[in-house]
Amino acid sequence: MTTALSATAAPAARTPRGPRGLVWAVLRVHRTALVFGGLALAVATACLIWMYAIADDARRGNVPCAEPAHDGFPSCASVEAITVDNTYADGIDLLTAALSYVIFPVAAWAGGALIARDLESGTARLAWTQSVTPARWLAAKLAVPAVLLTAATGTVALLGVWARQDDDPNLVGDWYYPDVFISTGPTAVAYPLAGLALGALTGLLLRRALPATGAGFAAALVLYNVLERTRENLWPTVTRTEAGGFELPRSAWQMSWDGPTRATRAMYHPQSHFWPLQYVETGILLAVAAAATLTAFAVLRRRTP
Amino acid sequence: MTAVTTIETSTAATPARGPRGLLWAMLRLHRWALWFWVLLVAVGAGALLWAYGPGADAAWSEYRTLHCDTNDPGLGCDALGPAYNMYDTAVGIGAGLLGLAPFLTAAWAGAALIGRELEGGTAQLAWTQSVTPARWLAAKLAVPAALLTTGMLVLTLLHRTLWSADGQLRAAMGSRSWYQGTAFEANGIVGISYALLGLAVGVLAGLLQRRALPALGLAVVGLALITTVLGTLRPYLWPLETLTNKHEYPPYIGMVVDEGALTSTGARVGDPICVDDTKCLADHDIVGFYRDYHPSSHFWPLQLVETGIVLAVAALTVVIAFRLLKRRTGAAV
Repeated sequence: MTTALSATAAPAARTPRGPRGLVWAVLRVHRTALVFGGLALAVATACLIWMYAIADDARRGNVPCAEPAHDGFPSCASVEAITVDNTYADGIDLLTAALSYVIFPVAAWAGGALIARDLESGTARLAWTQSVTPARWLAAKLAVPAVLLTAATGTVALLGVWARQDDDPNLVGDWYYPDVFISTGPTAVAYPLAGLALGALTGLLLRRALPATGAGFAAALVLYNVLERTRENLWPTVTRTEAGGFELPRSAWQMSWDGPTRATRAMYHPQSHFWPLQYVETGILLAVAAAATLTAFAVLRRRTP
Repeated sequence: MTAVTTIETSTAATPARGPRGLLWAMLRLHRWALWFWVLLVAVGAGALLWAYGPGADAAWSEYRTLHCDTNDPGLGCDALGPAYNMYDTAVGIGAGLLGLAPFLTAAWAGAALIGRELEGGTAQLAWTQSVTPARWLAAKLAVPAALLTTGMLVLTLLHRTLWSADGQLRAAMGSRSWYQGTAFEANGIVGISYALLGLAVGVLAGLLQRRALPALGLAVVGLALITTVLGTLRPYLWPLETLTNKHEYPPYIGMVVDEGALTSTGARVGDPICVDDTKCLADHDIVGFYRDYHPSSHFWPLQLVETGIVLAVAALTVVIAFRLLKRRTGAAV
């Protein structure tokens, strides 16, 4: 109720100033989400800077060793005594997972609090009488969170890549782990944007806060799992066939393996497929986001005069 | 808005009949949640039954085709095959739903069950229809609790059936142990008690916030905090057993909680990683090694203690909720 009041008070206090007033209203109504999002961003930034600071020590704690020390290998006791590598690996793991799951709260919030609550309580209709057309209302509702989300997830993704340094898979996980893959490329930004658009669409379709929250979350869950299952098919795999046995390097994302009865045949994605896979997946996500946004505008236009 | 009219017509059509009318109103008002819960249990049960039958058979035949059970296993045995992955996914869906249910319950209880009614004023309306606030809250707790317990019990029993049948497959693939999070919760009564805790936490969050969406957030975050704390404490809820051995570590069995080296005075110290260097061992005065662990026979004691704690927290939460409601409404309870 307080949010509704402040939303209407805003245009009254500040004389109509076009988009600036509308942007301000969106930020003011959703200040709780803004505060929590800002806190999450601050915590993630601080943690990643800390991770970067201990990255060198962590690498010293995660090297081949010998007992007693010889041939240039440090002694295992001295390596084992360094525990900072566990802190580093756990910290990176946690932040990677958190970034790859941002889509879920975003979709639930966009469905419930951003769109459907306004439609359910009638504050949207009130806004439409205040010289704000429905289309501009929806555009502001989508654009402001989209810009903030892009900036925040982009920052965290870049800081994450910076804190991972040489991407030692023993410390930060292999590039093809679902969490790692999502949060080390442009997909880190595209997933939350797709969640925002899907959530907004469910909010417009259902027009009630709680069902829209649930439906937005469910839509994000479906998208996330479908892409996780189909990711390996988004780019042609490399096939390697040899008469004898062979071993793939650790960086190869192995799909299938036959043999070694006559010849060994392996299908896999080498690490060089990271960027093609990222671009295709980002393209799919942005297409989903664009389709959901266009549908949302079409639904709104049909509903309102 | 439709919900309001439903309540009004229902009380008008069936003249005050005490709990039965209230029960009926509950089920009618939350029929979507009821159907969703039925659907969720059906999906989980279906996945577990599929894994128990055709899923396990396919995983075994793939295992034999790759000659993984012979002395000369192919390199393909390093990675899991598609049939085993399917089997693992089905089991994961079943066990995952058991783990997800408490959070869905908390979100729903905070938002739809309590928060929305207080926000929209339908709760206050119900309290004028010869339903006291205390009885209103009691019905809100009892009906979902009964349905949750039933559904969770079905999934738990199915998971136990599957677990007792696929021991060999688990051993062959080296996957899933009795003490791992989802398996531990899905094989005993802990999972059911967490669902009830989720309901209690959600109801209290709804009463505290009195608005649907903030209550949803508070309930989920609150439950996540409680489950994290209890999950961390889990290994310490029952006395550990200790194995000691001279010269080398005792075998790795069960849920290992702590390990290290022993000096001649019996003191426990961190392992200096001497391996077989006798001089190094003598320098550090190491005479043996120990492992603290829970054998699988500790499964039920651990389950019972954790269930007791979870149910006690849930009961406390419910008492606080009733106190809060009484203070707010000032009605004779």
